[in-house]
Amino acid sequence: MPGPTGLIIWFLGTAFELLFVVCSLARNSFLRYFFLNLYLLLSTTVSIGRFFILWNYGVRSDEYMYFYYYSDALLTLALFVALISLYSHVLGELRAGEYLKWGAVFLLLGTAGFSYAVVAQSADRLSTNFAYELSQNLYFVGLVLTYILWGAVLKLHETRTRVVQIILSLGLYFSAYAASYALMNFSEKYSLIRYLSPALGCFLPLSWSLTILRYSEESRLAPARLVAVPR
Amino acid sequence: MSRKLGALVLAMGILVGAMGIKTVLSAKVAGSTMMANGPAPVPEPRYPTKQKTAQPN
Repeated sequence: MPGPTGLIIWFLGTAFELLFVVCSLARNSFLRYFFLNLYLLLSTTVSIGRFFILWNYGVRSDEYMYFYYYSDALLTLALFVALISLYSHVLGELRAGEYLKWGAVFLLLGTAGFSYAVVAQSADRLSTNFAYELSQNLYFVGLVLTYILWGAVLKLHETRTRVVQIILSLGLYFSAYAASYALMNFSEKYSLIRYLSPALGCFLPLSWSLTILRYSEESRLAPARLVAVPR
Repeated sequence: MSRKLGALVLAMGILVGAMGIKTVLSAKVAGSTMMANGPAPVPEPRYPTKQKTAQPN
């Protein structure tokens, strides 16, 4: 079992995930941001499942390892769908629904195919390796997609505060994870760094909850434009 | 048809970019895993290194 600090961070993260769903329901935004809610509901359920398996079998058990990696693949898929739903929010007025639908399908199939090609050579535990590889690859695809989405927000002068802040939080979350990943590999011995990655798991649902709580659907915000500096 | 083709080309471009970032990062920090879903403790990675485990499949 993780130490008390780890447990507190874990419980807080799960509570924040549930908080977002409650806030969405309270502010009548559940259906508008359905896929974000679905992702966080799924994440809450998985978190509870992981806790019970960890409690019963321990962190070094095969049961926990398999449940962790399979559920992580499922969650990454849900996050991918949530990200595509944010694209449809931003590009909704361009009538780019068909592009988006086919783009998402091709991207998912391409990532799955690439993941399969990577793990196909290992004959044993193929499905576990595939789940792990797909999860990792989809994470990087999500990273790139978020930056492209932020570019679209700036280019299209998106002004809906909720949409802008949700996308910005997602971008910060992905970037901070990548940074903590690099940091952890350099200095894993420091306990503070070890808690950084789980703490980031709390950041996304908390920032989304605050966005839903503080702003209504009618709130508007102008993101700063990219400034061209004359040489 | 051209819409589908455009979407395919864009999707493949994104995939190539994402895998490029992954390759660059994993070349620097080999053997680590990046799990970004929730604050649960990450189990010790047994992939791609093979260790003695139960065979689930």
